[in-house]
Amino acid sequence: MPRHIAGRVGQALVAAFGVLSIVFVVLHLSGDPTLLLVPPDASAAQIAELRHALGFDRPLLAQYLAYLGQLAHFDLGQSLVQRAPVAVILAARIPYTVELALAALAVAIGLGLPAGIAMAVWRGRPAARLLAVVVLAGQSLPTFWSGILLILLFGVTLGWLPTSGADSASSVILPAVALGLVTMAGFARMMRIAMLDELGRDYVAAARARGLSRGAAILRHVLRNAAIPVVTIAALEIGNLLAGAVIVETVFAWPGIGQLAMQSIAARDFLVVQAVVLFVSLVYIGMNLLADLAYAWIDPRIRRGP
Amino acid sequence: MGKLWLALLAGLAVTPAQAAAVKDALVVDLPGDVATMDPQLQWDTDSYTVYRNIFDNLVTRDSTGKIVPQVATAWHYTDDKTIVFDLRTDIKFQDGTPLTPADVVFSVQRIIDPAFRSPQLSQFNQIASADVTGPSQVTLHTKTPYPALLAQLVKLSIVPKAYVQKLGNQGFNQKPMGSGPYRLQDWQRGVQSVLAANPAYWRGKPPFATVTFRAVPDTATRIADLRTGRADITRGLSPDDAIALKSEHALKVLSVPTERVAYLFINAEAGPTKDVRVRQAIAMAIDRDTLITALQQGYAKPVNIVLTPANFGYVSDIPGWPYDPARARALIKEAGAEGAKLQFLTSPAYDRRLNEAVQQMLGEVGLKVEIVTMDQATYLKRRQGTPQEAGSLSQGRWSCACQDADGVIFPLFRSGSIWSKYSNPAFDAAVDAARSVLDPAKRLAEYHKAFTILREDVPGVGLFQDVAIYAARTNLQWTPTANEAFFVMDMHWTP
Amino acid sequence: MRRPPPAILLLLAILAGFVVMALAAPLLAPYDPLHQSLLARLRPPGTALRAGRFLLGTDDLGRDLLSRLIFGARASLAVAASSVAVSLATGSLLGLLSGWRRGWSEIVIMRLVDSMLSIPAILLAVLTVAVLGPGFVKLVLVLGLTRWPRYTRVAYAQTLQVAALPYIRAAEMAGCRPWRILLRHILPNIAGPLLVVATSEFGLMILFEAGLSFLGLGIQPPTPSWGSIMSAGRDYVARAWWLTVFPGAALFLLVLSVNLLGDWLRDRLDPRSATR
Repeated sequence: MPRHIAGRVGQALVAAFGVLSIVFVVLHLSGDPTLLLVPPDASAAQIAELRHALGFDRPLLAQYLAYLGQLAHFDLGQSLVQRAPVAVILAARIPYTVELALAALAVAIGLGLPAGIAMAVWRGRPAARLLAVVVLAGQSLPTFWSGILLILLFGVTLGWLPTSGADSASSVILPAVALGLVTMAGFARMMRIAMLDELGRDYVAAARARGLSRGAAILRHVLRNAAIPVVTIAALEIGNLLAGAVIVETVFAWPGIGQLAMQSIAARDFLVVQAVVLFVSLVYIGMNLLADLAYAWIDPRIRRGP
Repeated sequence: MGKLWLALLAGLAVTPAQAAAVKDALVVDLPGDVATMDPQLQWDTDSYTVYRNIFDNLVTRDSTGKIVPQVATAWHYTDDKTIVFDLRTDIKFQDGTPLTPADVVFSVQRIIDPAFRSPQLSQFNQIASADVTGPSQVTLHTKTPYPALLAQLVKLSIVPKAYVQKLGNQGFNQKPMGSGPYRLQDWQRGVQSVLAANPAYWRGKPPFATVTFRAVPDTATRIADLRTGRADITRGLSPDDAIALKSEHALKVLSVPTERVAYLFINAEAGPTKDVRVRQAIAMAIDRDTLITALQQGYAKPVNIVLTPANFGYVSDIPGWPYDPARARALIKEAGAEGAKLQFLTSPAYDRRLNEAVQQMLGEVGLKVEIVTMDQATYLKRRQGTPQEAGSLSQGRWSCACQDADGVIFPLFRSGSIWSKYSNPAFDAAVDAARSVLDPAKRLAEYHKAFTILREDVPGVGLFQDVAIYAARTNLQWTPTANEAFFVMDMHWTP
Repeated sequence: MRRPPPAILLLLAILAGFVVMALAAPLLAPYDPLHQSLLARLRPPGTALRAGRFLLGTDDLGRDLLSRLIFGARASLAVAASSVAVSLATGSLLGLLSGWRRGWSEIVIMRLVDSMLSIPAILLAVLTVAVLGPGFVKLVLVLGLTRWPRYTRVAYAQTLQVAALPYIRAAEMAGCRPWRILLRHILPNIAGPLLVVATSEFGLMILFEAGLSFLGLGIQPPTPSWGSIMSAGRDYVARAWWLTVFPGAALFLLVLSVNLLGDWLRDRLDPRSATR
């Protein structure tokens, strides 16, 4: 077992390294930030001079090795645009990102699980169909539109919630709802299947025979059995919630790392993009490793897998 | 869905009641956060908007655009390449130390030091050296006679020598300190910057106790912030946004014609537009009046050349190309360019509507225009690359923030410049001469020559003078200026 | 096979309607979707001018919204269908390979899957558009090449299960060629779950194109797609609601139908829910 874990951790680190390499190459193929850093009236000689000073005229491999050397000393480097340590820039955004990801996850789970249970219990009835439509609705609208509609309705018309920013406790609600509604369907779907599974089992009949109410028996079992799939879906979604919330963060002016990553890609601020990607992939891989290990622990047959 | 929409529509008709009380704070919504607080590093609009309120400049512009004293009280040329500035002696930095000639010299030397790698270097590298030449006097030497020097110095922030040396460049970038009306109170990266008034400011008490600059990337969200009173002023609105806001009682639209010129670049060195007849046809195919009235809804002024009247060097007596699609079609036929494919390079930073309108207008005279949208970095790489890479057309909105023709047509069309896909020795001679004599009359004569040549060669077409549009609370008083500066010191609440 | 319930037939009819709309766009659209009249910008639905009657109003360049909507179905459906085809083919092939060969190919492919899945797709898409540039084919490639790992995961897990079945082992012993086993015996057995993934991805791809349009990197103007119409219309949410509501409704109806169909398929194919 410990050897197995060591193997998985090793493979996970290889995956993270792979991510970093893919992104490094793609980023550098897309040009460099020199042209964005100079004023529009700069001459070709001045641009070449700055490019040389920044080291972007070196061969790609040399730049790559230099970056790895830096990383080996746990140094994320300096942002070219902001002239500040990348670690400082990233650290300023992480709390907001984590707050939004957890709040969105709470919305998705809080709405998705009850919806999934209801859809299973009411299976075949019109109410279940209606619910299915409602649950999928969140996944069927572009967030750049649903986001602004939420702002206009709850921020401007009703005046209940802040229209933008992250400066009060209630600021997270609108972006979390916009993001959570997209993720909700996955949880509802999973919960419905788990619930249908349970409803078909013998123990439900047995429990009822013992005089337990049907609802209580089902809920206790289902929630216990559904815990791991919930974690699995959450683990799969975490990458998207952390840095894929680009559009929601842009619309709601939420200062998360998705927005940071987009702005840094646009500015070709390579070291910042790479640090974001490294962070997200390590979190993602870590979460999935945990989920895998939990599976292996519960169901030993899977252990022979990679 | 339908119900939600009804609710929204109902809400759009009425504006929520606003607290009418005069506040002691100002909240500004900007599209982005400050990149660097060090005023000698990044020069993007958002950074510029914030940090220029923390610092003073040697000279500045008044509301009419005239260059007037700020830290310098007077200046005179001792020869073509030497200019002497007399400085005020009563200015103190925010830590109480006096602003001395040594600080001014340090500020100049710091930004022109290649090792500092300032992105603004090319705006100041005509300065050869700076010296303290008296207890309240500084002398600058330029490499050649350089008429745009004062216009560039409008943008040079004076930084405190001792403080910068104590903190180091990186420390100064985190905790900037200047002699301006506001000091940095709090900077939450990516979120907002809060400035607090400098009560001892030499030009008088600043109008607001605090000013908060928030980073809100989406225009629709910025407008929602204004409507709910979350923000007091925002910038960078489109003409259509301005029209939509006109019915809001609590808000007003502020606008000013700027030194920014909207123009159409035409590649004179590659592709079908290498033929001057095709370029002239393009100039005649564009209905600029309709662009201004229908698309810009009047938020633009016509220009006859690739320059605005807000710039030095503007000549009004050169006629622009008339809108004449029939002649354009005939010229294209004559050039054998019917159905020629033209690549129109662009990025999301440029107005999509204008691109598509130009595409249709050129289509009507027989040219096939293909719009290629890339992200800004890729766009610049191609637009500034070889003539073959640069595409046939692109839209530009050019401002040098120096209100001088030298900052516009020199980089755009002088051969050898990265933007220029055009070469004419007579034009080069004229713009070279105009940038190396100090006499305004002589310079104007050279620019007249230059624009006469450009009119015939058409390496670009001036579309209109851009108008900057801001929206603010009704009780905020401010007159925006042609150089798009955002000095909070010039604003105040009406009681 | 049981006859599908009426609700499913309705969904299929909606889908078919959209497909017909896309294919017959030139016949159905009342006007040229690209023709601008700058003097008739932002007219509300039902406006009648000398130039004609604009049932759904005009957009910010004075183009007929109804015609753009009808033509927009083409771009939106074509991008989604092609990118799903690319990612389905790539993903299934790699999944089959790693589940069947195991060993090194399994380790390499599945770690690559982990790597790809850990980068948020939207970031990867923006990055690749920056390198490749825009355009229909490139957009399809970008979407296809960022989304394949989802299929690989499913194909891999399913192949592992099916390959362990006795009759596959028997076929192998009998000297059947590997590719024959893969294509004739394994692929049909794992096609169902892959189809389920494909339906949910189809809806996602339509939204993805819309998102890239919002970021300015989607289908190139002036060609309309629902996403590009909406992201342009978003600037006019307060002034010209029709620019987002009509394409939004069409997009909603399409994506919702596809998702509901996907859920129904999933139910039919899931052995567990079938036991009930």
